[in-house]
Amino acid sequence: MDARPSRTLPALAGLLLACMLAACSAAPAASPTPPSTTPFPSTASVPTEAPTAAPTESPTPAPLFPATLNDDEGGTAVLAARPTKIVSLTPAATEILFGLGAGDRIVGKVEDFTPYPEAAAKIPDVAKFGSVDVEKIVSLGADLVIAGGNNFNPPESIKQLRDLGVPVLVVFAPDVAGALKDISLIGRAVGNPDGAAKISGSIQGAMASVKAATAGGTPVRTYYELDASSGFFGPAPDYFGTEMIRIAGGDPLTSGTAGVYQIEAEKILTFDPQVILMGDAAYGVTADQVKARPGWGTLTAVKNGDVRPIDDVIVTRPGPRLADGIRTLAVAINPGLVLPSPAP
Amino acid sequence: MTTAPVPAGARGASLAVPSRIGRAGWLAVAGVASLFVVLIGGIVLGSADLAPATTVGILAKRLLGVDLGQTWAPTAEAIVMDLRLPRVLTAMVVGTGLAVAGATFQGLLRNPLADPYVLGTASGAALGAAIAVLIPVRTLFLQFGLLHGLAFAGALLSVTVVYKLSRTSPLSPLTSLLLTGYAVGSLLSAGLAMAMYLSGTGLRQIFSYLLGGFDGTNWARLAVAAPLILGGSLAILLRARALNGFLLGEEAAAHLGVDVKKERTILLALASLVTAAGVAIAGLIGFVGLVVPHLVRLLVGPNARLVLPISALFGASLLAAADVVARLLGGVPVGVVTAVIGAPFFLALLRRARTGYEL
Repeated sequence: MDARPSRTLPALAGLLLACMLAACSAAPAASPTPPSTTPFPSTASVPTEAPTAAPTESPTPAPLFPATLNDDEGGTAVLAARPTKIVSLTPAATEILFGLGAGDRIVGKVEDFTPYPEAAAKIPDVAKFGSVDVEKIVSLGADLVIAGGNNFNPPESIKQLRDLGVPVLVVFAPDVAGALKDISLIGRAVGNPDGAAKISGSIQGAMASVKAATAGGTPVRTYYELDASSGFFGPAPDYFGTEMIRIAGGDPLTSGTAGVYQIEAEKILTFDPQVILMGDAAYGVTADQVKARPGWGTLTAVKNGDVRPIDDVIVTRPGPRLADGIRTLAVAINPGLVLPSPAP
Repeated sequence: MTTAPVPAGARGASLAVPSRIGRAGWLAVAGVASLFVVLIGGIVLGSADLAPATTVGILAKRLLGVDLGQTWAPTAEAIVMDLRLPRVLTAMVVGTGLAVAGATFQGLLRNPLADPYVLGTASGAALGAAIAVLIPVRTLFLQFGLLHGLAFAGALLSVTVVYKLSRTSPLSPLTSLLLTGYAVGSLLSAGLAMAMYLSGTGLRQIFSYLLGGFDGTNWARLAVAAPLILGGSLAILLRARALNGFLLGEEAAAHLGVDVKKERTILLALASLVTAAGVAIAGLIGFVGLVVPHLVRLLVGPNARLVLPISALFGASLLAAADVVARLLGGVPVGVVTAVIGAPFFLALLRRARTGYEL
């Protein structure tokens, strides 16, 4: 009786809760599109891209349906006809569907703290962080589910949906090329490949104009902060945002290890960023707080006042707003940059 | 044995407690009834709006072959037969296993804080699951089953290691088992923390496994786990006499003719197998295995012949009911629900323990 096993479940549960809190602060590690609690104010000033203006679906001579589509993780979806009841299980897919003019066909979506466009907020939630309400999706009569790969949605729930005969496309964009591929795949699935091409074109155009404007310059040492509530979290080398920073003319500080987002404070100080971008500004982090961190006053970025907020959602959500994201990011890294206004 | 208002004559070391058979009988009836209520509730309730009459009609048609003259959409039938029914049954099977395993470990180790995970099962399973998530297989087809398989293997492996290591210690077998379990569990937890640190986007999958749940259950998985859990639980039930002996202490058990070493090994192995199969399909669900046996002991006394079967019934009802609550709350992890129900209850039990509660 006296040997009390402290490894009883309460203790374990407490430990896990602690892990969960750590995981929350490491939200970017858990999700390629970390939700922010408040919409970022400067989004409104960013020029809106044309493709969200719902391209019309032009009838094409070759029939688009029935179709058999291969997804990003080896799965196959068989679509007998043009889907009319679509479920979107990633925030990016929701944006892509709206960009394709298929927003009114979405019958359920994943919980999203920064829904975009506005109409997306009205769609009922059928999934949350880490759980999918399979029963609800089946009862809605979904004829296409766009799910998130790389464990974004539980693989088990995806399997369950497929076993019940619901076509599921699993998308995961590790980089910009992957995002363009997913946009094209979703465009094909909803019967609007032309709209997808248009969105991809606007993103590629934005990338090209940013690359042209920053060409020849020395990459700016950039610390892109994802979270600093307990320890510092920035991009992993394989993070979507890392590539975005490079395209935008930055030299990103990363953890150095794939899949790891935590960065030692010493490493940040040694790196001496020229620009600090607060991707966690939406969580209430301010430039003054950054300046007040012990030892940070010596950093070039702090001395020159180059500590700026950034809307993390448009930079890292692999959807139509990447065109805005790359332009916003480029200007945040190189404030003097002059970019051509986006093509209409 | 218990502080429940019990006539003084009922206390004592007798292995059978005839004066409580009547009470136990009523409890068994209540257990079966609650099992039935939860089964119906688990099939009628859910996030999809299905009329209760429809669900009953589907069940009658598919299970009993009786046509009640109703019609329904094929999706309704899929929801009832392929989602809700296997889910409720899985929760019941796992609840049975956890409660029986918990009662076994508590009796065998004579430790009221023992739960099914006391010998490192949980840490082993969790590490196995985390490794499965870390294996860079992005294909759903390959990934399916890997997590559960590795969790099962991890749980059994860690118990085996704990058992073997404990036998090399000069301490008494029970103390040695508990302390070895603690040490190995801590080591595995460190491995788990490291795996979570490295897991990137896999973190949410590891985390939802740690909280436990029945989201991905299906008939195939139930068919694999149910024989292990129910068979193991039944085998434990058949050894209730030996377990009763252990309650008096190993020496006394030996005097009663129990082959202590052999029975201890068999009971540990059976309880570990049941636990491993449970955590493999449902993740780490707490409190069911800890609280249910205590509750039953408070009501019927320590006799394992009564504690084991009634714990099985109550464990099944409690876990299936907690899962229904979890579903209705919109996908809250079932481990959270059992903990929220279980923790205050356990605290109340601890208050009673001060006044003389024993195993």
